[in-house]
Amino acid sequence: MFESLQHLVTGFTIAATVQNLLYCLIGCIVGTLIGVLPGLGPIAGIALLIPATFGLNPTTAIIMLAGIYYGAMYGGSTTSILLNVPGETASVITCIDGYQMAQKGRAGPALATCAIGSFIAGTIAIFGLVFLAPPLAEAALAFGPPEYFSLMVFGFIVLSNVTGTSLVKSLMMAIVGLIIGTIGLDPVTGDARFTFGSIYLLGGIEFVAVAIGLFGIGEVLINVEKPLEMLEQHALVPRFRELYPTFQDFKKSIKPILRGTGIGFGVGLVPGPAPVIATYSSYMIERKISKHPEEFGKGAIEGVAGPESANNSACQSAFIPLFVLGIPFAPPTAILLGALLIHGVSPGPMLISDHPELFWGVIASMYIGNFILLILNLPFVPLFANILRIPKKVLLPLVILFCITGMYTVNNSVFDIWMMLLFGAMGFLMRKWAYEGAPLLLALVLGPKLEVAFRQSLMISHGDFGVFVNRPISMAFLLATVIFLIFPAIRLMFKKSKKGGI
Amino acid sequence: MKRDEAIGGMILLLFGMVTIVLALRMPIGTFRMAGTGMFPLILGILLMFLSCLLFLKHLYQVKKTTVGRDSVAEHGSPVQLILFFGTTVLATAFFNQLGYPLTSFLLLVVLLRTLGMKQWFLNILLSFLSAVASYFLFVQWLKIPLPKGWIGL
Repeated sequence: MFESLQHLVTGFTIAATVQNLLYCLIGCIVGTLIGVLPGLGPIAGIALLIPATFGLNPTTAIIMLAGIYYGAMYGGSTTSILLNVPGETASVITCIDGYQMAQKGRAGPALATCAIGSFIAGTIAIFGLVFLAPPLAEAALAFGPPEYFSLMVFGFIVLSNVTGTSLVKSLMMAIVGLIIGTIGLDPVTGDARFTFGSIYLLGGIEFVAVAIGLFGIGEVLINVEKPLEMLEQHALVPRFRELYPTFQDFKKSIKPILRGTGIGFGVGLVPGPAPVIATYSSYMIERKISKHPEEFGKGAIEGVAGPESANNSACQSAFIPLFVLGIPFAPPTAILLGALLIHGVSPGPMLISDHPELFWGVIASMYIGNFILLILNLPFVPLFANILRIPKKVLLPLVILFCITGMYTVNNSVFDIWMMLLFGAMGFLMRKWAYEGAPLLLALVLGPKLEVAFRQSLMISHGDFGVFVNRPISMAFLLATVIFLIFPAIRLMFKKSKKGGI
Repeated sequence: MKRDEAIGGMILLLFGMVTIVLALRMPIGTFRMAGTGMFPLILGILLMFLSCLLFLKHLYQVKKTTVGRDSVAEHGSPVQLILFFGTTVLATAFFNQLGYPLTSFLLLVVLLRTLGMKQWFLNILLSFLSAVASYFLFVQWLKIPLPKGWIGL
């Protein structure tokens, strides 16, 4: 424990250098802007900014990209409260009571509660990360290829189960992602696969192109298809004096903030879109235990404080599986994994011992980032909110230009822009036909790891599939996978029998 | 499930079939020593299986409900969408020839017009200022080697 604290102090000395502080600040500002702007979520935002980190050392690069991630989560709540338009999916729940508060002229306290709640949650979650990550990393050293394979399969099934409306469709998307991930050189033999003689495809499909295409261009196209009059929006921008919550507000919020922090931290550790599940769970719990549940949906501050704290806490704890196992459980951390690999850092159980400066530096920077976001979000909320005055008909072409520029800078290649547009069109159709993009992106990033783990496991066992069930950890993950797979069917049967019985 | 979703399922079925055909052209190997084509082959089979499952589910639902068509209200303006995306595709096609500053300016002019900015003066001014700002940000400040095109900037 003391050792972890010592490392954390070292982390603060790394994070507090002028360069790292500057990039942390840039990440937080850019992230908040991305979160505020509807149409460009944290996934496309991080992917777009990866090329800007090429000249930086890995620690500074990840400090900035992580800042964008949790900055976007902070910023996402602004549009939810002021416009009833969630900046990203995790802020959907905040719309319910946040927008109602804004309608009653209490946008300021709602926004301030979000910022304070997120700061408290982020602070507690970081300490959880500090004390939980090192022992988990030691435990993960026992993982071999079969355990990694089973864990990744478990991750895909859980993510597919909790995203979208259909498990089958989400699983199909995960498989499409895995197939796209096989394009390029075979990770074991080095033979070319599905390249059709193109040198551009030898290195595989650029995951940044897929991320920006599916989540950036796809979102823009969905907006463009809407009638012109829908591209005009007006925001409620609170005045400075209306900004701060009263003591009564704070008293009402503190318990939901603490409960939200606990829920978010736990949910962030398991596969799936953690912030979305965490906010939803927190809201449901707050409503259930409230003495005045009838106030929920009409502007209850607890309905803003709890979910927003859960959101930020889940974002922080989602770094544990990424850093400790090298396996991201959600698309934003999958993008961060890609960024780490680009910078020559392979996360996993050895990350803490091999790259202590990166691990502890990034963790310390998160705390600093939370503080920066608190400072940014409290007095400057009206400033960020003013961005919402830009009509979408101006914003969408600018997003397209930014996507094209950002994509080109990854490899200085027009081919990547073509790929991005292809995946943009695909993302548009997927949204129209209700197919989820998150499993595809996660599968694309994890695909080569999954294949290597699968093939290595079978090599070890001389082709015996029993290797996946004979090892206890692997067996446990596969058992959990089966439970998650059959759970929807059982639930459906139970519902039907209940209907039939009554 | 809507008809559109079933079309998506059919496309994925086709994608799975193509994956299998292409994977079979590669060495498959054995489970002990898997070849290059083994993993894509398994994925192709899984995708085809799930696509069939989805399609069967659709058929079952169509039999149960007689709702055939999607509501028209959820569709927006396809012309606007085609113009917008077509312009982006064209800009990409001529990106190297026209260069970054000119491409970004022309792209913005057409996209803003497509999305309803009818006043030409405001449109051109906004496009010009945005193109200049992004040129200075990316090319001059961040030193990103973007295409210069025939204007040489």
